[in-house]
Amino acid sequence: MTLLFMLFVVVAGLATVPGLHRLLVGPTLADRVIGLDLLFAIAIVLSLTAALLSQRTVFLDVAMGLAVVGFVATLAWARLIQLRAGGDSE
Amino acid sequence: MTATVGWLVCGLALLILLIAALGVYRLPDALSRQHAATKAATLSLTLFALGTALLAWDWAWTWRLLVLVTILFATLPLASHALGRAAADAGERERGDDR
Repeated sequence: MTLLFMLFVVVAGLATVPGLHRLLVGPTLADRVIGLDLLFAIAIVLSLTAALLSQRTVFLDVAMGLAVVGFVATLAWARLIQLRAGGDSE
Repeated sequence: MTATVGWLVCGLALLILLIAALGVYRLPDALSRQHAATKAATLSLTLFALGTALLAWDWAWTWRLLVLVTILFATLPLASHALGRAAADAGERERGDDR
């Protein structure tokens, strides 16, 4: 049982490698934000795993917070990219 | 029974998450990478929430997971649309698309 949860954590950790690669090497700013998006998704999966492992519902609230923060972060970066490109900021 | 199905759904969700990560690593341009990161990751997160609900089998968990999935469904398309449009405005084009 706990071994299976550890397997979950290892698989999610494997998925962070491409995400970190995109975040660090880009090549464009949009690529970095996509890497960040993927890392947020993995963080949500990991916090759900933490909830299952500890049998506490607080980690589900953490997952909701992560979802909202990821949304706002992506919107802010998208706006920055758009302003840099000289587009309108709508 | 529900626990077994829950484990299977969680495993499937992690497999899809790995495929999404592979897509983000391998696809050739920002717009394709975003297609992998958004759609596959949304499916993966939804399936993982479903698997968690099946494993916990408790209303205190189920309603929180439903709120989480609702937040994800409401925000992920908006965020990916904003980011995709910004990337397109910044001159990002699909590889092999010589406009």
